[in-house]
Amino acid sequence: MKKRTWWIWGILFLAAIGVWSWAKGSRDEGQDEKKDSIRLGILLYRGDDTFISNVRQALEEQAKLYEQGTQIKVVLNIEDAKESQNTQNSQVERMLSLGYDALCVNIVDRSMASTMIDDAIRADVPIVFFNREPVEEDLNLWEKLYYVGADAKESAVLQGEIIVDRYKEDPSSIDLNGDGKVDYVLLEGETSHQDSLIRTEWSIQTLKDGGVPLEKLTGGIANWERSQASALTEQWLEQFPGQIELIISNNDDMALGAIDAIERSKIMDKINVVGIDGTPQGVQALERGMLLGTVQSDRTEYANAIFTIAAALALDEDPKTKITLERGRYYWTTQEALAR
Amino acid sequence: MKRGRHDLFFGVSISVLVLLYLMSSTDLIIHEKKVEIYPVSVIVEDTSDEDHEKLRKGMDRAAEEFHVDLSFITLYERNDQEQQISLIAREISDGAEAVILSPARPSDAIARLDGMVLNSPLIILGERFPLNQAAVGISIDYMEVGKMLGDAVRENPSDIPVYLLTEGLDCGYAQEISDGIWQALEGSDYQIRYHILQAEDDCRKLIEELVYPHPQRAVLVALDEKSLEKAAGILAESNVYSQQTQGLYGIGGTNRVLNYLDQGIIKGLVVHNWFDEGYLSVEKAVKAIQEGGGEREQITMEAYYITREDLRDPRYEKMLYPID
Repeated sequence: MKKRTWWIWGILFLAAIGVWSWAKGSRDEGQDEKKDSIRLGILLYRGDDTFISNVRQALEEQAKLYEQGTQIKVVLNIEDAKESQNTQNSQVERMLSLGYDALCVNIVDRSMASTMIDDAIRADVPIVFFNREPVEEDLNLWEKLYYVGADAKESAVLQGEIIVDRYKEDPSSIDLNGDGKVDYVLLEGETSHQDSLIRTEWSIQTLKDGGVPLEKLTGGIANWERSQASALTEQWLEQFPGQIELIISNNDDMALGAIDAIERSKIMDKINVVGIDGTPQGVQALERGMLLGTVQSDRTEYANAIFTIAAALALDEDPKTKITLERGRYYWTTQEALAR
Repeated sequence: MKRGRHDLFFGVSISVLVLLYLMSSTDLIIHEKKVEIYPVSVIVEDTSDEDHEKLRKGMDRAAEEFHVDLSFITLYERNDQEQQISLIAREISDGAEAVILSPARPSDAIARLDGMVLNSPLIILGERFPLNQAAVGISIDYMEVGKMLGDAVRENPSDIPVYLLTEGLDCGYAQEISDGIWQALEGSDYQIRYHILQAEDDCRKLIEELVYPHPQRAVLVALDEKSLEKAAGILAESNVYSQQTQGLYGIGGTNRVLNYLDQGIIKGLVVHNWFDEGYLSVEKAVKAIQEGGGEREQITMEAYYITREDLRDPRYEKMLYPID
């Protein structure tokens, strides 16, 4: 009797396992089919940031080239978080619930990536972060997390070298009043962005190492924004009349803001301005002779790296077979110094 | 006996555990209430969705409310009507239950769609197509827009020529706007000239020719947003250009265009509520899906002529700068 009860329970148990496998199998049906379309979510921290806007355009171009070249349909959904991490988290949640194949995230707050990473792990949707690097601990949470960016130290060193080279060539072109020191002001990006501190530190260090005698008049945080940089510069021009010889900016937008203020003030004294990013607007200012130099990261290469990794992940392929990655998850774009 | 009870208790416990596991990991026993998601594709005439921010905000809001999975599709080349038609077919075959279309060249689109069998309803951001598959049209009255611009032109001396700038009269609703301008200027002495801006530097050449070699003044009226942005961008570069321009007018509402209006580079602008247009289009798409086509209707939205002073008027502010 006892033996028969055990048999019945055993059969029931096996039957239950069988039913479960069947139910799960039918739910997962079709997942192994080769995809003929991919759906990528692009989440921007601020759509009106010039550099980000340029990367966005390049991403759209990449998607179209890829679609034409592979006949794999690409649906890009681009969302702007307008600097709100909560908004971006909701956008991520929505995309995950709609079954996007991969997300490309330009995170608002780099220290707050864990929430979206947890959500992505649960949904098994990989993320390619770009431009704003999450802290390393978060990136190490899962193997399907990647980062594409420009090496901030390299940008800063190249920016510093533009000035050092010019100074060595002709000291009077940088030390404009010939008093043996270069009085400079500094425009910095957001304090929470990893690149701000590194760019500032290494740009100044390169100048010192290159033998440029420096004297800092002041500095301020303009959050990468042209208008904020313009307002700060206007204030400094009044505060230090005829003293500012060099404006070092963490990016081109702020450098352009400084130029706007210089133009508005109608001062005749020449002031050298240097930026970073090599945005089309920055390059235009360089060509017009308003900017001494900038450091350009190739936006096409930048977008290509983001897209290549995301598309490979969306197709369940290994991105490392498509692009060379550092430490298995990092891609650093090449940069070039441009000077007038 | 005691052992028998123990076995029974053990067996029942295992069964309950298996049952609970089945309930939680599959929907075999308890069917989770499924929210129906409607896949809807939006096809615009542009190569990027960057300039459709306000429209998208309205669409996104409606998509959340009506459980719509929205795909925003852009073209390889701006105003490529042929690609738009192939994209409509592709999206429907890929499962879009409705398509919202901002037609690149409306009359060409009608001709190409005539005779095609579409299995999903089509919502037109413009005048509804006289075709069965086009369920709803949502637009402003473009003739009226033209009349508003024409009335604005009348503020300028009639001996100054009026240049109408457009990517092409068959693009969007440039023809209707132009007809409205002609109607508003009927009986006046204004000389109207068309300038089709096809090549990238056509607009620049035109404005430079106002300055050199024979300086002359002109009133510029852009019949589409792209032409307006181009002209305003060039005028913003130099005071010399803007001095030769009696006024720049047009239609559009991107933040760049609004900034140009604020800077005084654009003198007058016709705007409408893009957020509402986007919201309505998705709402109507869902209705058409639910009703298997829905009723055919043309929704005409209000258009407004605004100047720099109106930008901070609460009536327009909410419409021009919608919050998320």
